[in-house]
Amino acid sequence: MLKLLNYLLSTGIQTVIDPCPTPDNEWRGMPALTDAQCGSGCNACVEVCPTGAISVFDESGKADVALDLGACIQCGLCIDQCPTGTIVESKTFRVATNSREDLVLTTSAARAEKVAAVLGRITPLRKVVVADGELDTGKNLFTESLHARVVSTGCSSCDAEIGASGNPVFDLERFGVHIVASPRFADALFVTGPVGKAMQNPLVRCYGAMPEPRLVVAVGTCAISGGMHKGGYAEANGADSILPVNIFIPGCPPHPWSIVHGVRVAMGKMEPYKPQILPGKK
Amino acid sequence: MKLEKKIVEIGNLSQSIRSWMEGPSGRRLGLLTSIDGGQLATLMLDPQKSVVEYWESPLKADSYRSLTLMVPQAHWHERVLWDMFGITPEGHPRMKHVLLHDVYPPDFFPLRKIPFFDSKGFSKDRSFNFLEVRGEGVYEIPVGPIHAGVIEPGHFRFSCFGETILNLELKLGYVHRGVEKRLTELPWQKGRFLAEAAASDTAAANALAHAVALESIMGIEPTATAQHFRTLALEMERLAMHIIDLAGMGTDTGYLGFAQNMSRLRGKALGLAHNLSGSRFLRAFILPGGVRNVDTSVLAKIKKNARELKAELKPLIGFLHESQIARERMEIASISRSLANEFGMVGIVARACGIDYDCRQSFPHGTYPNFAPPVTVGLKGDIYSRAQVRTGEIFTSLDVIDAILENIADGPTMVSVPEQLPADTYGVGIVEAFRGELIHFVATDSDGKIVRYNINDPSHNNWTAVSIAIRDNLIADFPLCNKSLALSYSGNDL
Repeated sequence: MLKLLNYLLSTGIQTVIDPCPTPDNEWRGMPALTDAQCGSGCNACVEVCPTGAISVFDESGKADVALDLGACIQCGLCIDQCPTGTIVESKTFRVATNSREDLVLTTSAARAEKVAAVLGRITPLRKVVVADGELDTGKNLFTESLHARVVSTGCSSCDAEIGASGNPVFDLERFGVHIVASPRFADALFVTGPVGKAMQNPLVRCYGAMPEPRLVVAVGTCAISGGMHKGGYAEANGADSILPVNIFIPGCPPHPWSIVHGVRVAMGKMEPYKPQILPGKK
Repeated sequence: MKLEKKIVEIGNLSQSIRSWMEGPSGRRLGLLTSIDGGQLATLMLDPQKSVVEYWESPLKADSYRSLTLMVPQAHWHERVLWDMFGITPEGHPRMKHVLLHDVYPPDFFPLRKIPFFDSKGFSKDRSFNFLEVRGEGVYEIPVGPIHAGVIEPGHFRFSCFGETILNLELKLGYVHRGVEKRLTELPWQKGRFLAEAAASDTAAANALAHAVALESIMGIEPTATAQHFRTLALEMERLAMHIIDLAGMGTDTGYLGFAQNMSRLRGKALGLAHNLSGSRFLRAFILPGGVRNVDTSVLAKIKKNARELKAELKPLIGFLHESQIARERMEIASISRSLANEFGMVGIVARACGIDYDCRQSFPHGTYPNFAPPVTVGLKGDIYSRAQVRTGEIFTSLDVIDAILENIADGPTMVSVPEQLPADTYGVGIVEAFRGELIHFVATDSDGKIVRYNINDPSHNNWTAVSIAIRDNLIADFPLCNKSLALSYSGNDL
């Protein structure tokens, strides 16, 4: 016992004090778009993307790209293949959004139209503010504490990263965030995996067992759009078509810092990712 | 490796399998499936000679006599045959679905491509009736699919008498996503992403088995440099997962000081993977033809970090083994060697029972003939033996990583890969994933398209171990027992 105590004290504080730092050079980040003009008739990115997350709109000789981060599995192939530098790597862990549309990047000036074309629908922005009746102050009730129930419906790497975000290095618990054993104790439902047919009913029942106010956080690309599994007979198209999702954390799997970022966005303490076009290399 | 098809009459299949397995020790049934519903496709393995045989048994009816009573290793495979192809193994002692629940129609067989032989089609529905234990004072505890912790879903139905578990039955299939069907629809170059996503704590092993299977039928060989990087990746994955599994076992004995530090060190092991590939889970790193480009300037950093990790792990893991309380909690839930053999268990679970089967020795590919570590074997088949096997493998993996880093030659990481797969071929990739023997079996049609892709995750063979190990133990010991087996739901369900 004393030996263990000695060991624990000697390793010192392991927590990274400033959350969500800039990633190092080796980290393979999500793609981003620049204003470098995409070559008309190219389509290299569209052909190579495993999930079909990229669309090219070639209108009268000028090509525009739309890239859905909610369907991106971070394989890096589009970044490798793009000959014009329109698709580049973005080194940030802060990729969580509070709107499905904000995950769609496009170089086109007609943003709303392209986003609708990519998503096939507009989802209502479900603000992370509290609810109805006497509690309806329009304020976020979860700023100091958030209790989460995790429901896994996929391959388990997103679950592993959620588990890691609670370890001493990332220390999600310092923000008042706990993983709870029952939906009855939960403020937020973290969904991982694409939610195939056999998990749809259990998931909805779990959500139904949560008292209001309650949030839904889609952790990982599968939970947002179904990822590689989208469109199959198992109807594994993500949580977004089944539950009202408030926060979207893309990634395959998202880094623990990205999960911390998503939770802090839910708590109103960090800014969500906003779609932008970076300046391209000349 | 590329396989030659050998036709075995369906009536002789049971006896042929039995004779094969009664041969020199270690021989086993690799997997039993179908290509399109018109035949049985069996892989027989001889680990001592590194031999794999592919036997095809054409069917003339929608059913055949079940092999399970003669060959218990086949029991789970036969249930999946029914689930996915609508082929009935008549006389199967526990015929229930594994993968498709009753949310799917009873006549839905996603991998079947040919019409039914009998016009009456199919009569059994997809309801799942749990085995009942009767007696005064016996009650049932249902657990799942959603579990209290952060873990994949599955249903456990316990029949208990007081605190003691009389029987445990599993109902899996909750995370069935249709991976194998999708692998026949995607262009083959994109299949690796789906193979990785099948069970992505095994992403590197799945990508490697996929690459090895396809390379064997394409007849290409990756460069020595790529082979070294692949071995590094596989061992890093093994290291990280063994660390977190030991941490989980520590948590379930209440040993949190140990467990939280192990979780931190697992982050360092993932850091090695991050340095090598840009992804903590080695995603999109291994592909047919080689590996993604590696910036060789990181190799010195990886070597230094791996050595520091080893120095930190030694004292910390020692705490688990030195704790009398933890050890007493863990010296339960044993599986006998004979049952492990009978049910075809693989990997850590089998090695903890004294079965020395490790694909790095038995089916070496890539650099393994030179770098395969000694096989770590346990003695009693209990939870503590499984902890011992993991501990041994953590340190042998670190040794392999160090040895590889001393020996990596500079060179290209990719060879050129043909556009098309060859027609009418069968290939297999066998890899020792961190849980055990992982088999990817691929068959192409006359156009060179993939007509069947079967992923046989080690968990597919091992889930029965949960029911066997926990029998006659206390319900309170179940979480620890389950963690000691640490099986994959998604790898089984696909």
